[in-house]
Formats: sequence, C-alpha cells, structure tokens
Amino acid sequence: MVESDQRPFWGRLSGWGPYRSSMRLLSAGPRRQFLVLVTLPVLWVLTQHLGPMVQMASVSLTDAYPVAPGTETHWTFEHYLKFFTDRIFWMPFFRTLIFASVFTFVTLILTYPVAYYLARHVSPKNRMLLLLLLLIPFWVGEIVRTYAIMILLGNTGALNLLLQSIGLIERPIPFMYTSFSMGVGIVYLTALYMLLPLYSALEKLPRSLNEAGADLGAGAWTRFRRITLPLTLEGITSGCILVFLISTGFYATPVLLGGPSTTVFAQTIAGFFHVAGNEWPTGAAFATIMFLAALIVTGVFQKLMNGLRRGDVR
Amino acid sequence: MSHFDSTRRRFLGTAAAGGTILVAPAYLRRAHAQGGGEVNIWTYNDFVPEDFKREFESDTGIKVNIRLVDDQGKQFNLLSAEQPEPTVDIMTVAGHRFLQFIDNELLAPLDTDRLKNWGRINPTFSESDWATINGHKWGAPILSGMEVLAYNTELVSAEEARSWDVLFSDKYEGRTAYIIQDMMSIVMLKMGYDGNMIAYLDDPEKAAAIVEEAKNFLIDRKHLVRKYYDGGAEFQQMMVNQDIALGHAWNGPAAALINDGFPLEITIPQEGSYGFVYTYNITRNAPNEDNAYRFLDAILAAPEIGAAMTRASGFISTYKDVDPLLSELERKSTSFSDEELAGLQFFRAEANDLKYGLVDPAVEAIKAA
Repeated sequence: MVESDQRPFWGRLSGWGPYRSSMRLLSAGPRRQFLVLVTLPVLWVLTQHLGPMVQMASVSLTDAYPVAPGTETHWTFEHYLKFFTDRIFWMPFFRTLIFASVFTFVTLILTYPVAYYLARHVSPKNRMLLLLLLLIPFWVGEIVRTYAIMILLGNTGALNLLLQSIGLIERPIPFMYTSFSMGVGIVYLTALYMLLPLYSALEKLPRSLNEAGADLGAGAWTRFRRITLPLTLEGITSGCILVFLISTGFYATPVLLGGPSTTVFAQTIAGFFHVAGNEWPTGAAFATIMFLAALIVTGVFQKLMNGLRRGDVR
Repeated sequence: MSHFDSTRRRFLGTAAAGGTILVAPAYLRRAHAQGGGEVNIWTYNDFVPEDFKREFESDTGIKVNIRLVDDQGKQFNLLSAEQPEPTVDIMTVAGHRFLQFIDNELLAPLDTDRLKNWGRINPTFSESDWATINGHKWGAPILSGMEVLAYNTELVSAEEARSWDVLFSDKYEGRTAYIIQDMMSIVMLKMGYDGNMIAYLDDPEKAAAIVEEAKNFLIDRKHLVRKYYDGGAEFQQMMVNQDIALGHAWNGPAAALINDGFPLEITIPQEGSYGFVYTYNITRNAPNEDNAYRFLDAILAAPEIGAAMTRASGFISTYKDVDPLLSELERKSTSFSDEELAGLQFFRAEANDLKYGLVDPAVEAIKAA
C-alpha cells in the first residue's frame, strides 16, 4: 500500500527529483541566477520593442509590402529618396517638429508652476491627494480625453457657451480644427509626462539652499533663476524629451482636433498605411526618418542641457 | 537555502499565474468555438443589425466577432498582411474596389449556389456588370451609397445646394468639410472630366494633367474648408456641433442624422456624383468558411433585416421589398428625385491603378500644402 503524500503542492514539487535538479542547474552561482532573471525581460525588449522597429526598417527598404502573390521583392532606397526629393512631404515633417517643440515649451511653462506649488508649498499629507487628482484624467485613454477637448472647444462646447453667456461673444468662436485646438489637446495629453519629472526634481531640491540664498540677500526671482531653475534642469530635460517624443508621434489627436492646415507627419505616414494601399514601404521609410529626426533633436537638446548643467556646477 | 526556496516558490507561482493568464484567452476562445464555432467579420458600423446578430448567435451557436473598419484601404492592407492565413471570414468591400482585392488573391469567389436567399437581392445590384469579374461573383451586395452634398437647412438654402460650387463659396468659408480623396473624383466630374478615369486609360498624360488641375483647384480653396475628414461619424459630429453648415458626405451617415430629426437635407448636385455598393465578401482561405456562408445566407433571408441595416446605417438597402418597411422619414432620407439620379454614376474599378496612382499623391500634396 502506497502512503499518500500529505504535503501541499509546492512542498511536493520542491521534493520532486527532476525539479530539484533543474533548479540546481538554473541557480548554480550568481551569474547563472542573473542570466535566468534577465532572459525574459531581454527577450521582451527584443521582440516587443526592438523587433517591430527593426521590421519596420526592413520593410522600408523593400520595393513592395505587403507582397502580392507571385511577386518578388527587392531591396531599395527609393522610399527614402522619395522624402528627400519630393518637397510636398517636407511641410508636414517640419510642421511636426515645430509643433512638437512649441507644445513642449508651452507644456513646460504651464506645468512648472504646478509642480513647484505641489513640491514646495503643499503639505506632504495633501501632496499625494493633489497628485492623485491630477492623475485621474490619465486613467482614461487618449481618444476619450481628446473627445473631452472636442466637447470643451466645439461651437456648442462649454467654452463657447460660457463666453456667450457672459456676453463676450455673440457667435461661437471656431476653436476646433485649428492649431490652437490641436495644441490644447496635445498639451493636455502630455502634461503628466512633464509634471512628474519636474515634481520629482523639485521635491529633491533641499529647502536649505533657497534659505541660504535668502539669507545672503537674494530676492525671490534671483533665487529661482540662480538656484531652483539650474538644479531642476535634469527634470526639465527629462520632461521635455518625453513630451517632445510623444508629441512627434501623436496621430489620433491631430486627426480629431486638427484642421486642413495642421497636417502632421504622423498623418502623412498613416496615409501610406491606410489609404494608399500597397505603400507600406514608403510609410515605413517616413516613420524611420521621423524616428531618426526626433532622436537627433532630443540628442542635441540633451547635449545642450548637459552643457548648461555643467556650466552651472562650475 | 530556505530563503531561496521561498523566492523560487514565489517565482514559480508568479510564472504559473502569468502563463495561465496569457494562455486563457486562446483556451477560452477555442472552448467557445467548440459550440457552434465563430465567424469573424470586418465591417462598417451598423452594417450588422444588433437584433439579427443576437438571433443568429442564439439560433446557430455561432459567435459573430465584428471588427469595425472605416476604410477600404485599411481592410486591404490588414488582409494583405494576414494572408495566406487570414483571421477574417467576411469583409465589406465596395464594388469598385473588387479588382484590387481580387488581383491580390485576397477574396474567394462567392458560390451563390450555397446561398438559398441570393434571390432576395434586387437584381439591379446582384446581376449588374460590376458584380461579375472573371466569370465569378465576388460578393453579396448589401447596401448602396453615394457621395452627396449634405446641408443644414436652417443655414443653407436648397437653391444654393444645387451645385457643388457652394462648398467652395466665400459665404461658407470655414463651415464646410469633405473627404478629400472622394472630393478629387467629384471635382474632376464637376470640371467635366471622367472621375473614374476610364476615358484616359490610353492617355496617362491627360489623366495626370486632370488630376493636377483638380489638385490645384482644391489647394487654391483650402482656406475655405474647415476639416478634411475620414469617416461618417466625424461628419455627423461636426454637423451636430454646428462646426460646419454643409459638406460632402456619404448618404448613409447623413441620412442617419436626418432620421434623428436633425435639420439636414441631402442632394446630388446638378454636376452629378458617384455611387457605390457595399458587398459582403468571403476571404480567400477563410478560417470559418461554412459559418461565413451560413451567416451570409441568414443576413439575406428577410427584407426586415435589410430595413434594419438601412435604418441603422442610413445607406440604401439592396434587398427586395424593403421600401414598405421603412417609415416615411426613412424613405425620404434614402431616396432622390429622378433629376438627381440622372446625374449619378457608379464608381468603376477599371482604371483604379491609373487613378489612385495619381490621386493618392495629390491628396498628400493637398494636405501638406
């Protein structure tokens, strides 16, 4: 008669020979433990993050994709050349970079005081509550928040109704489908990505530095300019890079809030994937160009900010 | 050692739970499919009436999975990417886009003998010349639509709406909207050219010159338009919010607004316009082909279903005997005078390669200008 094992499942498993030997094999030494731990995350990054980008780059170098039955594909640079030789694509490209830069700056200007107030003037007890309140809109997706902006700015939207009710205007102001409505949407959608790095940088800033400045006779503006701002450059850099990169890739918001004169490069790229049929390689090439351009801009910006920071230390 | 045991246990537990969560959807889907199976459909909003879907699922045990689409090009690209093992069984192709799908071997010929309700479709649609290509039928016509001029009757008069020119008048600056790709065909027609470009198949230079002329026309008048939109819902929203007073539209979304009581009229202006027919098509290598045929046969079974599709989408049903089932308002929103219909042509596919090879870059140029 076989006596049944009364131990719980995990207990029985840990006593099971093959399991014990495989665990011994996997956990023999810190290096092997490290390898076991990093394998999955590395695979995740390679397949889910880098994989699609590499595939996009490879599609951009083919002459046709999706490939029609019975046809062969060949490698080509023609889709990249298309961008550089056809000026009609330059306008949305540069418009995107300019819009993204302006919206990033506006987001910084708007969120810095909020972050400053949160980090420096709100008691730690209320700080989390206020942060939570600011986070609530970000619990819903980009599209829903974009529609919220549409409700706010439409001809029959809250803003126009308010302006009409207080007698400032007689007819609704056409806010929608302009660079203004698009800007409002993008600033609203990206504010959190600026706010959190700024808040983090400001919170770390020792109060004693400002107090010392005050003791030495520096006014509020001088203290901000000479102490607070330089010491939060790291947060500003992170926030600006995040917001800039996100802004260059926005698609739904410009589609829903933008107008005929606000076409951004993401819409041009999407046009190749959606409307034009058989034009994926061009879309992929343009996406790669945008990606590289955004990387170069942020790289230059970061270098500039690093220089500023180093100058400040000296 | 005991400390390591505990960590390992937690690691294994987490891995097991994670694995279960990852695998669950596939298992549940398979388990469900063992009932009556499933049928996967890509179609436009409101093209499968909700009541019909419920009844079909309950009668057959076949689960109907709908993926909403809003553009023919997107369907083409998605299906191209999925072939030769598509996840979709039925898709919704406009008749004039058949050739592109057929040439790329994305659709299977439709075996009408397997559809005992095929005869319920009005022969004007089921037997028309565009419906047969290479000796085969490729889709079951379900709804018919057209490019119309839609206007808010409280802001625009019927007299003004007799011509497409009103869309480009200074009076309505910033209060118009259109789908730019469709507008290219209409502008070409308005200028007296063949918007289908079949007439220029042997003269690509002339075709290019015409597209250039239409492109420049739209670029010169870009400041007058409020929005280049993509889908019917956007048009409805702009109308309801009074962001626009008039615009080019598909008759379906516009008719849906009329049926909701919005002060809107639709017309085919005197310069004419283009019509199209939506068809349900079975994809090549459809994973659930038998279920797809069952679905098609069921949806063609009764004029009440056609009426429900018209009611929900605003497009005109291709089924026989639907008219008596519609209300007066619904009939009004889906019918046009003889004079209007005289100017209507159907989109044709014969010159699509030539046409869209020229029109697509022109559209990008207009947007970028």
